[in-house]
Amino acid sequence: MDTTTAPRTLVDSRGSSCPGPITDLALAYRRSKVGDVIELWATDPGVRPDVQAWAAKTGNEIVSMEDRDGKIVVVLRIAKR
Amino acid sequence: MSETATGAAGVLAAAGPTANRVSIVMFSGTADKFIPLGVLTQAAAAMEMEVEVFVTGFALHAFTKAHHELPFPAEFAAMAPALAQGMQAAKVAPWEEMLRQAKEMGARVHACSMMSEVMGLKPEDFSDLVDDVVGAATFLERAAGGETFFI
Repeated sequence: MDTTTAPRTLVDSRGSSCPGPITDLALAYRRSKVGDVIELWATDPGVRPDVQAWAAKTGNEIVSMEDRDGKIVVVLRIAKR
Repeated sequence: MSETATGAAGVLAAAGPTANRVSIVMFSGTADKFIPLGVLTQAAAAMEMEVEVFVTGFALHAFTKAHHELPFPAEFAAMAPALAQGMQAAKVAPWEEMLRQAKEMGARVHACSMMSEVMGLKPEDFSDLVDDVVGAATFLERAAGGETFFI
């Protein structure tokens, strides 16, 4: 699935600390469909391992995770609903 | 010998959690303990897990309609103002808000019937955070097969 053309939801969790970003991600996930892409922005460093744990637990896929302009940017593809 | 080890490992694996469920026994009544209650409940709900909170003991008062200021444990009282300030700076939500968010995602909160009676609390005394009043058998039945935390 091409993640550049799939419907993309931006979740801005900057400034929110654990478990805020993962909750924001879960809420977006509940509104998503298989094939959708969610882009999560966060500043809590716990997000890096936590998103991996969330993806492993829920069966979804991390397309990329990088530090950009002072924030953590995670792109996820919804593989399972 | 190796057969025994394999057998023991097999038993351990079989005894591990099988259900996608987290159960939390909330017993403590001090402010500090309500932080992990809120965080774990909300995080577990976000992990798409079933969450059951069983409120008992000194924690019950915090779940009543009457305003109840949670005490801080005496040995950490000196740290309380700094902690409150740090929580505000880190934008950590109050525990009630975290629990409410978790409940919107499917978490359930039960009050212990026996301790409610001991403390003179009737079902109508509890806030809307509490779904129902149940006994220990109900909680154990719902918790079976999942992870259980005691706070």
